[in-house]
Amino acid sequence: MKDKSIKSLKFIGMGFLEPLIRALSGEERKKNFGTFVKGTLFPIASIFLFITVWHFAAHALYNKEASVKIEKARAEQGEEAALEVQNCIRSGEVSCQPNTLPSPAQVWMAYQTLWKDHLDISQKKRDFNQQVAQANSKRADQGLAPIKYTGRPSFLDQIGTSLKTVAAGVILALFVAVPVGIIIGLSEVLRNSFNWLIQIFKPVSPVVWLLLVFMIVKTVVTDPNLDKSFIISFISVGLCAMWATLINTSLGVSTVDKDFINVSKVLNLSIGQNIFKIILPASFPLIFTGLRITVSVAWMVLIAIELLAQSPGLGSFVWEEFQNGANDSNAKIIVAMFIIGIIGFMLDRIMLTVQNLMTFSKA
Amino acid sequence: MNTFRKISQSCFLGATLMLTLYGCGSGSTSGNQEGSAESSHTQKLEIEKPQLTFGFIKLTDMAPLAIAKELGYFEDEGLFVTVEAQSNWKNILDRVIDGQIDGAHMLAGQPIAAGSGFGRQAALVTPFSMDLNGNGITVSNEVWAKMKPNIPADGEGKPIHPIKADALAPVIQEYKTSGKTFKMGVVFPVSTHNYELRYWLAAGGIHPGFYTADNIQGQVDAEVLLSVTPPPQMPATLEAGTIYGYCVGEPWNQQAVFKGIGVPVITNYDIWKNNPEKVFVMTKSFVEQYPNTAIAVTKALIRAGKWLDDPNNRPKAVGILSKSAYVGADSVVIANSMTGTFEYEKGDKRPSPDFNVFFRYHATYPFYSDGIWFLTQMRRWGQIPDSKPADWYSQTIREIYRPDIWSKAAALLLKEGYLEESEIPETDGFKPPTRDFIDGNSYDGKDPIGYINSFKIGNKD
Amino acid sequence: MALLELKNVSKSFGSGSTKVNVLSNINLAVEEGEFVAIVGFSGSGKTTLINLVNGLHFPDQGEVLLHGLPITGPGPDRGVIFQNYSLLPWLSVYNNIKLAVDEVFPKLSKMEKDLHIKKYISMVNLSHAKDKMPSALSGGMRQRVSVARALAMDPEILLMDEPLSALDALTRGTLQEEIVTIWSQNRKTAILITNDVDEGILMADRIIPLTPGPNATLGPEFKVDFERPRIVTEINKNSTYKRLRNDILEFLIEVGSTRRQFSDQKYLLPNLQPTYPGRRAFWKKNVNT
Repeated sequence: MKDKSIKSLKFIGMGFLEPLIRALSGEERKKNFGTFVKGTLFPIASIFLFITVWHFAAHALYNKEASVKIEKARAEQGEEAALEVQNCIRSGEVSCQPNTLPSPAQVWMAYQTLWKDHLDISQKKRDFNQQVAQANSKRADQGLAPIKYTGRPSFLDQIGTSLKTVAAGVILALFVAVPVGIIIGLSEVLRNSFNWLIQIFKPVSPVVWLLLVFMIVKTVVTDPNLDKSFIISFISVGLCAMWATLINTSLGVSTVDKDFINVSKVLNLSIGQNIFKIILPASFPLIFTGLRITVSVAWMVLIAIELLAQSPGLGSFVWEEFQNGANDSNAKIIVAMFIIGIIGFMLDRIMLTVQNLMTFSKA
Repeated sequence: MNTFRKISQSCFLGATLMLTLYGCGSGSTSGNQEGSAESSHTQKLEIEKPQLTFGFIKLTDMAPLAIAKELGYFEDEGLFVTVEAQSNWKNILDRVIDGQIDGAHMLAGQPIAAGSGFGRQAALVTPFSMDLNGNGITVSNEVWAKMKPNIPADGEGKPIHPIKADALAPVIQEYKTSGKTFKMGVVFPVSTHNYELRYWLAAGGIHPGFYTADNIQGQVDAEVLLSVTPPPQMPATLEAGTIYGYCVGEPWNQQAVFKGIGVPVITNYDIWKNNPEKVFVMTKSFVEQYPNTAIAVTKALIRAGKWLDDPNNRPKAVGILSKSAYVGADSVVIANSMTGTFEYEKGDKRPSPDFNVFFRYHATYPFYSDGIWFLTQMRRWGQIPDSKPADWYSQTIREIYRPDIWSKAAALLLKEGYLEESEIPETDGFKPPTRDFIDGNSYDGKDPIGYINSFKIGNKD
Repeated sequence: MALLELKNVSKSFGSGSTKVNVLSNINLAVEEGEFVAIVGFSGSGKTTLINLVNGLHFPDQGEVLLHGLPITGPGPDRGVIFQNYSLLPWLSVYNNIKLAVDEVFPKLSKMEKDLHIKKYISMVNLSHAKDKMPSALSGGMRQRVSVARALAMDPEILLMDEPLSALDALTRGTLQEEIVTIWSQNRKTAILITNDVDEGILMADRIIPLTPGPNATLGPEFKVDFERPRIVTEINKNSTYKRLRNDILEFLIEVGSTRRQFSDQKYLLPNLQPTYPGRRAFWKKNVNT
């Protein structure tokens, strides 16, 4: 019974509760409680500690900014103006609020606003689609593209766009970096000759990649119906992020275990078979380690790239909120920061799983 | 087993996140649809391209776009329009030219420069002028303190407006003798702000510098060095001391007063009364390929402009503009620049009913004479490097300004009852000669060469 | 004419001051159907010798002839059983063998291949484990897979490079018997490299000691005339066996000690199998090499 419930808990990803259940069922109580506290309660406690520190820091900054404002008013316009500013700040009027690091509570409120906003937008989207359903079926008969929703994207839509961009970028990186990595991994001459280029391009900033891609895409893609900003951003993301995969693939290919090469030689495998049956599988662990790095780099550079390419993802969300400079803009930016962090963490987990699946143990 | 556990772990993480997202938002699914209450009785044209995307920069004068969309004017015309914020003026121009967006809110100078040889060239057209006025010139507190003694005061000791650049000239001289160059910011090389600031300075005898083929910063012979700074960064740049003043649209002048870092000295209404500010721009190929669509867009925008100029509608407009998808600033800040007063020195609030004009004075009609004024200023300051004959000016502007589209749209609106006869100007596209400038110089759009030669400072033909 | 012939073969690695002569002046002739064991100390160059035969290396001097023709490279006519099994860890037992079968018998139908593969899997008693991954198998089972793979190629010569040296004594004993049993079914030519004299005596027709390197060369051959099947317990009691064993050991020890007398000078050993430390640790956590 106990083992079964532990097993099912692990299945739904709550394996960290295992020691608690074991302890409750009286099995090595002390040890299991210890494990539970260390493995689960400590991380949770550290999150609370972080929020507490943040809360107090935000308050300190708020007070500092407020007093600076009041002092400034006093120095420049006298006591009366200072009092006015002070009262204005106390009254909570939007126009004179100190604009500084938002507190956790503000961020939570901003999150709820965003969520409500999402629900409103999805409702509008449904209404819109109902409204144009008839027109769309007529357009479909005429062979025209259907009318799409014209409202602004919600926060969740923007997350979706970002995920799509990263996915496309990573796939691009995969299709460019893995074959190139294999080719240069197979030949030491090529490896040496490309090494400089790779070392030069690897540290190039995402912004520069974006501009470079922009120059090329602008010329190559002339069809106005294609979503150029998406094309530009995913190519840039791919180019920024592919280096880890490229280097790891070439390393993996160039260092395939001699034993496997010998097997291939003894079997007289053709070049193609050698690559696909021996070298590639043997390099999978390193390739996937590289891909995992690629995914995290892609997610990291995404924000900067979307911001500049006007792709409607999280990057442009952050930039727009920064530009808006409204009272809750800073809090919304921090919501985005957490969402970006959590998604990045989840992507890394997924890639780790894939990596583990792809890694074989010889022993 | 191990890997499997990890997969399910990550799935679970995702599921938890989703659940949390759902949990806290439930119970608030009610939509708040804003649409026109009145039943639409527009006659729908045959729309060639119903799905459109328009760009804008986060400034209050993008309002006609937001209103036409939010009040359903676009949909009344059978248009399905997405309105998208863009990062800067260069970007917005590139995206319209490259066809990534179908049309955009632009500086009046942008389509003109694109058609007359300055910057990136492309055939762009303007069927709709978005607003009049709306800019101001702000100087830093330090400069203001030095300027103020030079400004004549009224009985109450308040400075008499409009303040001329004559008051600034001695300050610039003082900076010069102490070895400092006097720097000011504008938002874009072909923006109205650039020409207005130059006009104001030159009217006070201060040379703002020429553009030449080699110096595209426009700083040849300059007594004041003008540089480009994006609008939202203006107050911060002023505070940092990088520039001593700037010319920019709202809310960035009021922001300086508010933060106590600078003092607005003049609005562009006082530099040139009812000057055109932003325009709506599409490519020429778009207008030719989709003529009905272009007319329908113009119809919706004219209606939006008319709605905006009803003072009773301004609070609602402020509410719409403060949505994060549009201007996104707090509504108090936006309201400050749309309510008909303008605050100069802290506490010196003066009425300025025509500071944001969206419809009155035939604001939406794209007058050739307005466009030619920009061409004359481009020639005056050397952005157009060579002398051009007088008919070049009217020919060039006829390629860019398209009152024909506006008139077709207006005629339809008149028939549908949205416009009155008096709201459609009877004009050949040229406003009558006017002296509504700060220096009282007379401008006649039909005599550009004479106008260019009438200035003390500037290139002559 | 002998099936396989090595004539005055020398092989060295490196160049200049780091040059090491691993083998010199090797002469060997192996007849068809013969089971030859080459016995030598670790590091004497046994693997180099077998690599010369399977075509992974080529001699500096002399020639290696198969059917009287020089060997130009590896080929499925020489099946190799490697010391460290060399199974592909990402393929199951079945697929490891299938890889070889696909290569050597591309024309067989799917079903024929399947039968072929299963036949060899059952020959090494691994039918129950045919879908397991190598990592789930014990050392002995893995080497059986390796044996099945080599045999499934139906090679003319079976080359065994210390196939059992990594196994414990008991497994080793059973596998020795199994290999001989399988070998005797069709008496393919076989060359066994080993450092275990007993193993050689139990399995081979002829034992040739390899003197310790550098400049290793083959010593005098020792015939093993015991009737097959040989049974360990009985052979152990046999006096001829004891004498033979002593002779070989004596020879090896003698050469070894003479070597040692002038081995004050330092020899730079060739780095024959460059390995990547990180990766080896990654894949081969428990390899007992």
